[in-house]
Amino acid sequence: MGPIHRSPPRGPATDAAMSTQTTPSTVPDSSPAPATPAPAGATKRPRRAGRRSRSLAYWLIAPAALFMLLVHIVPSAAGVLLSFKNLNTFTFSQLFGAPWNGFENYRSILFDSANPLHSGFTNAARNTFIYTVATVAGTLGGGLAIALLLNREFPGRRTVRTLMLAPYVVPSFVVAVLWGFMWQSDNGIVNKVLVDYTGILSDRPTWLAGHNSLVAIIIPSIWRGIPLAMLIFLAGLQAVPTEIHEAAAIDGAGAWRRFRYITLPLLRPLIAVQLLFGVIYSTYQFAIPYIMLGSNPGPDADLVMTLIVRQSFTNNLFGFGAAASTLLMIIMFVWVAIWYRAFRRDLEPA
Amino acid sequence: MATISARRRRRLNAWALNALTYTVLLVMLAPILWLVASSLQTRGQLASGAYDLLHPTFKAFSQMWASVDFGRYFLNSLIICTGAALLATAFASTAGYALARLRFRGDGTFSVAVVGTQIVPGSMFLLPVFLGFIWLKQNTPVHLFDTHIGMILVYTAFFTPVAIWFMRYFFMQIPPELEEAAMVDGCTRFGAFWRIVLPSARAGLTATFVYAFLMAWDELLFVTALTEHRAETIPIGIRNFIGNYSGDYSQLMAAGVVSTIPVMVAFFATQKWLVKGLTAGAVKG
Repeated sequence: MGPIHRSPPRGPATDAAMSTQTTPSTVPDSSPAPATPAPAGATKRPRRAGRRSRSLAYWLIAPAALFMLLVHIVPSAAGVLLSFKNLNTFTFSQLFGAPWNGFENYRSILFDSANPLHSGFTNAARNTFIYTVATVAGTLGGGLAIALLLNREFPGRRTVRTLMLAPYVVPSFVVAVLWGFMWQSDNGIVNKVLVDYTGILSDRPTWLAGHNSLVAIIIPSIWRGIPLAMLIFLAGLQAVPTEIHEAAAIDGAGAWRRFRYITLPLLRPLIAVQLLFGVIYSTYQFAIPYIMLGSNPGPDADLVMTLIVRQSFTNNLFGFGAAASTLLMIIMFVWVAIWYRAFRRDLEPA
Repeated sequence: MATISARRRRRLNAWALNALTYTVLLVMLAPILWLVASSLQTRGQLASGAYDLLHPTFKAFSQMWASVDFGRYFLNSLIICTGAALLATAFASTAGYALARLRFRGDGTFSVAVVGTQIVPGSMFLLPVFLGFIWLKQNTPVHLFDTHIGMILVYTAFFTPVAIWFMRYFFMQIPPELEEAAMVDGCTRFGAFWRIVLPSARAGLTATFVYAFLMAWDELLFVTALTEHRAETIPIGIRNFIGNYSGDYSQLMAAGVVSTIPVMVAFFATQKWLVKGLTAGAVKG
């Protein structure tokens, strides 16, 4: 969550303006990093202060940077190396000293159609793709719809907005357990509602196995994701000046046209950010299928993450796990690049 | 006449939209209500579907607590998540301040790295961290595998990046004159940060802590791989429970309620600020 492009970390021009306004003469030299570059003939003192605050900055980021280095960056590099090694049950005792394997892990995943790992990966990749597209679309669509509903005056508005956040706070593993219970074929409330109470369906579907099992993990994921999307859209909608809508309404624009040509364009940056992180988050989904359907969710609902964990930790195929993770990482970098090209213009501060 | 009917139509419209709003809320809350209702019934009532909502029973809670030693998982979750959220908030407060107020060479790189950590799949660093923990256990007296401290360190690293974005936003909400005035009075920049800025960012610190806690509470992937017995958290307890007593849904629902209450309380207690942090990244970014 957060902007990706903002390199100048100092606040917008306003805080520089404010500081000069309120403290014009009292802080000539200790003022922090002037927003405008110092003129050539600047005295030595401000520059020294700048250097001091710069070294302070390094001390301030040091703990975070150290942890990110030790847990994110170095292990990620080690993971790429590992993907070229033959680390399995037989070589596990050698840990990082396992024999090199060249591109064998990649070849077996991508091209060796006789290898079950190949079919397992392509299958999981397809499921993950469907899962991600459906979950992100459902979450953003549902979140936007509810945000529009709640962005009106109605009795109990504050309470409704607060209560609507509740699903987001239910932990994923509880979501999985709860929906696993609700999806039960014979006793589950979903089938009771669909078959016994309303008669929408004539016979009871099996949700937790077969084709439906992907749906069984998509819907709870959307349900849990909607509140956050709603929250972000609501914040965006509240920033849309009502005068624009009123003026457009006077000009005869209907509700749909106002939404399509006023609201939606203003929400584009919010959609962009949520698309970016929604796709990443969904692609890496693990807890919901793992808890609801078990360590092997079956061919219809196995996601890339559940596959990697199962092959690595149940079957000790660490080389495979590392290679599959590397491929996944490359795919995500490609996604970020595509996303950046598509939404670059929306990210520029207006 | 025409205007009256238009006004009536508008009122009818609003009424229909209100009804829709409440219905949507009910649908969104229904699974949670069902979780709570089911946890207050017996196993037999869940199997037959004959719920008796007027006579709730807490039997499932006491059974669940005894049958899988739920208290141990709960305590592990509390220790690990509190430790990790505290450290992550501490690291994020200094790093977030640097990003919000100071210019330094490499600030852009650091910002990109912070976001970059979110793009790399967890399994990418999970395997090497796992092997590294095993190696440490075999070759050194440092025990990180299946220990609280190991999980705290890993979670701290994980949730620091998001916490940094939170804190950076909260610091940007504090007027810079506050610390400038302090520095005029002879405070160092760090002194101003420590004595002036940090105390006025209390609400932001709390929100960041709660958010990191929520994320850690929810984490399953790493705890699956990096623990065996001693440091297992609630999601592992639930998984083990499913493995051993898969049919007993009343106990599972009770476990679900118990593991949701702490995060619900923490979230709604700090909601006002948490919401600001959650939306800031997307709206301002």
